[in-house]
Amino acid sequence: MNAPMIECRGVSKSYRKGSTVVTPLEKLDLLVAKGEFLALMGPSGSGKTTLLNLLSGIDSPTEGQLLIEGRDIAKLSRRELTKWRARHVGYIFQLYHLVPVLSAFENVELPLLLDPMSKKERRQRVEAALGLVGLGDRMHHTPSELSGGQEQRVAIARALVANPSLLVADEPTGDLDRESATRILDLLRQLSRDHGKTIVMVTHDPRAAEAADRTLHLEKGQLLLS
Amino acid sequence: MSAILNLLRLSWVQLTRHKVRSLLTILGVAAGMFLFTAVETLQRALAKATEETAADTTLVVYRQNRFCPSASKLPEHYVDEIRRIPGVREVIPVQIVVNNCGASLDVITFRGVPDEQLEKFAPEIQVTQGSMQDWKSRGDGALLGEVFAQRRGLKPGDRFDGAGVTVTVAGIISSPFPQDNNVAYVKLPFLQRASKVGLGTVTQFNVRVNSSKDLTTVAKAIDERFHSDASPTDTRPEKAFFAESAAQLIQIIGFTRWLGIGAVLAVAALVANALLLVVRGRVKENAVLRTLGYPGRAIACLVVSEGGMLGLAGGAAGVGLAAAFLRWRSFTMGNEGQTLAIQPDLMVVLSGIAAALLLGIAASLWPAFQAIRQPIVKNLRN
Repeated sequence: MNAPMIECRGVSKSYRKGSTVVTPLEKLDLLVAKGEFLALMGPSGSGKTTLLNLLSGIDSPTEGQLLIEGRDIAKLSRRELTKWRARHVGYIFQLYHLVPVLSAFENVELPLLLDPMSKKERRQRVEAALGLVGLGDRMHHTPSELSGGQEQRVAIARALVANPSLLVADEPTGDLDRESATRILDLLRQLSRDHGKTIVMVTHDPRAAEAADRTLHLEKGQLLLS
Repeated sequence: MSAILNLLRLSWVQLTRHKVRSLLTILGVAAGMFLFTAVETLQRALAKATEETAADTTLVVYRQNRFCPSASKLPEHYVDEIRRIPGVREVIPVQIVVNNCGASLDVITFRGVPDEQLEKFAPEIQVTQGSMQDWKSRGDGALLGEVFAQRRGLKPGDRFDGAGVTVTVAGIISSPFPQDNNVAYVKLPFLQRASKVGLGTVTQFNVRVNSSKDLTTVAKAIDERFHSDASPTDTRPEKAFFAESAAQLIQIIGFTRWLGIGAVLAVAALVANALLLVVRGRVKENAVLRTLGYPGRAIACLVVSEGGMLGLAGGAAGVGLAAAFLRWRSFTMGNEGQTLAIQPDLMVVLSGIAAALLLGIAASLWPAFQAIRQPIVKNLRN
């Protein structure tokens, strides 16, 4: 196994919902190698999305160590976590979450707007990301002018443009037809295989999981055998 | 720096691509700022007309216990005795005829003065159109204040009738003193005959003293001199005279300040409401931006800059329209012969636009806080 990209040691997440304490993840241990494409499966409420949120740094564990490339992100302050997220993680949502009034180019450009770089360099990176997902000819289209599959590819380009080492995808094919889903999965495989991206993908679809190098099952906040 | 510019550009894009919402908000802000500018113009005109400064050296000698110009009758020969009082630099008898003694938005005020004395008494008056010579050579000639001429659309050579007096425009004048710009100067004997008060009687004397320090002593000396005369006088600095004779007008204008405050609050509420709706509509969008690595302050900056842009655009539109409208209509408020030109100046325009910008920013602070206070995960789930 390559050096670990992700290392979870006894990670738990719990929160209060009214008078009860909910624990979607409990003492979870996990290793994901650099460049690995991992699929997470499990029934609703099993803790998949919670784990994804922890890995992407938009949520923090209540217990345990969460090491990404050797750095315990559970110990980062909110500000440090925001910076870390901007540099190291690309998030792909099930419903794409593109800004509707912005063109594909402008949506992909968003993660770069706060970086000190020239307009020319930004343009080159955006064009390269859109080219990589096969949408070089749709740069100036708004989301409403694109199909669901194209929207998801724009979202992937947006996740890629800052060149993060980790991509997390929350049911990226859940809202797509079979053909579009296949294309997205091929793209994710290509990113893992050819570009060395570590990908953690949550899915309900066993056929989508087949595209991954490894599949893990979660149930009641615990990992089952693969 | 480039990050801030990029955020401003992003806000601008959001505004321009939500055209209807942005235009409606800008329209609302513009309406509020239109009212605010009108009120501020009134307040500023009033302040200019009533606040005494060290540069003020003019006294007005009026008939004691009289208020309307038609009731103030003083013998013209007082002029020689006033001139002899120590501290007096120049004095001019003035006959005043107005079309309406009560409060009005379109006052016509004639000031009859001896033609040979006007330039000496008021050297600051500039003839911008026509000529002083034409005025002197014509019996019915009138020199119109620029605001008066603009309001009535008059130019040299035109004839017009007002308050029962028919005159020919000989020139248009401009003066640093607002009162001069709102009146028509005619020759004293002409106005005395035309208004049927008769030769030898005037409404008031305007007195220039050597220094503003002399105002009180000279006023006192004048009133004492005529105290036992058949026509006792009441002498006050010009601005104090205005403040007293136009007291009702001032009360009304004072009330309009509340309208201005109301307009400002309405603008603030409108921008805050629009941005709260924007923030609510963009809960997920903002959560996505934060997921992409936008810190809370960047999200707040986006919301606040949208508020500022809405305020600025609405302010510029409202203040600009109000300034153009007031300039076009050249309203003059008058009461008991005293006039107040409602003309916006650069200060009112700039302060109005700055106020709108600040209101937009201030009104967006709470929506900005709302946009960043919820956890990302919760907002993504909503």
